[in-house]
Amino acid sequence: MGAKEAVRRRWAALGWAYGLLLAFGVFFVAPFVMGFLASLKTDPLEWPFRLAFSQVSPKNWAAAWRLGQAGSGDPWLGGMRPGRQVALEVVYFVPRGVEPTLLAEIPRRKPGAGMGAVFETPYASDHVTLEGPIPLERRPAHQEEGEIIRYRLVLRYQGEGPFLERVPLDLEAPRGMVLVEATLDPTRFERRGRVASWDNVTPGLLGYVFHNYVRAFRETRSLETGESLFLRWTLNSFFLAFVKVVTTLVFASMAGYALARLRFPGRQALFLFMLFSMMVPGQVTFISNYLVLRDGIFGLSKLFGVETLLNTYTGLILSGLVGASAVFIMKQFFESIPREVEEAALIDGATPLQTLFRIVLPMSTPALGALAILTFQGTWNEFFWPFIVLTSPREIYTLPIGLLSFRNAYGQVGDWGLILAGGFFSMIPVLILFAVFQRYFVEGVNVGAVKE
Amino acid sequence: MRIKARTLEALYALLLLLPFLFSLGVFFLYAFLRAVYFSFTDYNLFSPPRWVGLANYWALFQEPSFLLALKHTLLYSLVVTSLQTFFALILAIALNRPLRGITFFRTVYYLPSVISTAAASLLLLWLFQRTGLVNQALSLLFSHLPHLAGFALLFLGLQGALVLWERRRGRRTPFLDPGLAAVSLLGAFLGTSAFQAWGLLQAREVRVDIPWLPTRASFLGLPYPLWAIVLMNTYTTIPTFMVLFLAGLKGIPRTLYEAAALDGATPWIMFSRITVPLLRPVLFLVITLGLIGTLQLFDQVLFVGGSGGAPLESTITLAYYVYGNVFPSGATPRVGLASAAALVLAGLTLVIVLLQRRFGVGERGWS
Repeated sequence: MGAKEAVRRRWAALGWAYGLLLAFGVFFVAPFVMGFLASLKTDPLEWPFRLAFSQVSPKNWAAAWRLGQAGSGDPWLGGMRPGRQVALEVVYFVPRGVEPTLLAEIPRRKPGAGMGAVFETPYASDHVTLEGPIPLERRPAHQEEGEIIRYRLVLRYQGEGPFLERVPLDLEAPRGMVLVEATLDPTRFERRGRVASWDNVTPGLLGYVFHNYVRAFRETRSLETGESLFLRWTLNSFFLAFVKVVTTLVFASMAGYALARLRFPGRQALFLFMLFSMMVPGQVTFISNYLVLRDGIFGLSKLFGVETLLNTYTGLILSGLVGASAVFIMKQFFESIPREVEEAALIDGATPLQTLFRIVLPMSTPALGALAILTFQGTWNEFFWPFIVLTSPREIYTLPIGLLSFRNAYGQVGDWGLILAGGFFSMIPVLILFAVFQRYFVEGVNVGAVKE
Repeated sequence: MRIKARTLEALYALLLLLPFLFSLGVFFLYAFLRAVYFSFTDYNLFSPPRWVGLANYWALFQEPSFLLALKHTLLYSLVVTSLQTFFALILAIALNRPLRGITFFRTVYYLPSVISTAAASLLLLWLFQRTGLVNQALSLLFSHLPHLAGFALLFLGLQGALVLWERRRGRRTPFLDPGLAAVSLLGAFLGTSAFQAWGLLQAREVRVDIPWLPTRASFLGLPYPLWAIVLMNTYTTIPTFMVLFLAGLKGIPRTLYEAAALDGATPWIMFSRITVPLLRPVLFLVITLGLIGTLQLFDQVLFVGGSGGAPLESTITLAYYVYGNVFPSGATPRVGLASAAALVLAGLTLVIVLLQRRFGVGERGWS
């Protein structure tokens, strides 16, 4: 075999390897990208799945920005304020023999069907007046028999009134008349394409592209206070993850250090028992733990005037102070540190506590970092135990439990755009964390599992 | 003095361990012992438990919904573990080479496994709707079967012809020569496109319309909704195990492969005689972790069921059975029964771990 041929073959093999890597990459990322695109769509279940749709067209971005700016002065989230007006242009094709009669209306339509539907929101039709459609320009069509008509619509909000989050619009045309172009693409067509319907003609850029995400925040609101539940759940999850990271770092280092360095009777037994506890599924222990929290940890909470720890963060935090796997990781790490480092301190008469906090922990930032990230991810994603402890009111849910109630509220009516938006929104913190610290994630798996 | 130092050290240890001991003692040991106790009693969370001996275990194996949950759990666990282990191994072997930019690809592959089961379940629900992406992809695949067949035939024909031609010229070219394969791939692609343009190959009109979720139909003993969860879970767990395999593969000396190559070993021989035996500890670890993780399937069941979703008997698992008996909607809790079922689940897990310790660890082919 010639040397030239060997080189050629090596290059070809390299090409195949990269091709394969790319194919796998597409396989692993495609469902996420497609799901994300679908979460922007008006109909995430459309058949066939289109990659080019209204929400990804720059023409609509520009229009949404401009209309939002005109309606409320906020080009991002749009809406309409008193004293403002917005103008919209639409172009119709009218075949010969059809009378061009375009009817425009601001419908009285409620936003959404689920949790937010119980709230009384001001109707745009009560405040906004519609002028038009006024024909601006008529010219003969090129391809088919008929003419092209350009109309202009002006929506005015006169007098005093509330801020309107959305201003819907319906345009009804006789059969045969076709909408060719519009300043902003309509949200959907109804009645066999005769009615072009806009959910909001003053959406703003974010309000247009991420309309399902904005809806997730606006439409899921607390029945009592009216605040956004979705925002509440997100903050709850952040708070609980933060507390858990702190308690885990502190207590896992303490326990791990004792197990790794200090001699005490029953050390080996404790370690084995810890390993055993890691293998028992949560379904075994949750019944008793539920009862323990219900009775306020053997009645101790009654000393503080708290009858039960169910549906409280205190209960959730106390029951998950530190996990055995975190202790295990820290123990393994401390054992990898050479003893000589601490011996100097011990000879100087430092207590184990001082040695741990002054000397060992400052050296342990890589392990603490990895543990912090893994704990944050674990808590952010945790489902089963918070689901048992936190049942009511809905304001105290964490994000994953909130997503379940979301799914149950909107799954029946098939509002998949909203459900997907909720799911993708909940991924953002973990994805950011992953993008920044991906090395820790990948190595953390090894720390936790492979023992050489 | 010495004894006193020892006592002091033990006291410090106790101090450092105190929070952990509280967690472990109250929320594990006490809970575990109570679960064992509850499993021998008749208990409904409100009135005091009444001792019934082994009656719960006896009742458990008489109850159809428990047996169904057990069957689902075991089958699901076996299927997912085999699939994820197989694909993770293949991927790890494909990735285990010194390529530029391999870290980037590893990061990308790891992506699906960082998200929560809740978010993944929502994605699953969307993917497996009637007009969801899975049915659409299947439709696309089936309607282009002629193209795929044509492509495969063209590729094989071209490759065969090229290899024969090379061998005629006196070269010992293997059938899967990468250079020739690239040429054949391009040729097959151009050929298929040409056939399509001339109208020799035409897409068929196929619309796959499988109701994955709201159904009681099953395939190979596992209901469709659970198959949907199988696919989704395999997809999100492959990357984690791939990373474990990669770590294991790093530990295999390259010299072994070089020596085998000198003796004329084929890639398959190297895989089956070197890679798999030396990877055995990691292989067992992956299988164990896979089995333990899949036995506890719960979150997805809750998401896939629910309003407008799959019926309970198509998705029930052991973990869900336990939960459903502790917090039944509109019925008396059967905590004794649930505890017994939970202990069966724990027993299954422990058996798997013991089997792994017995066969998996400490057997390294070369040392």
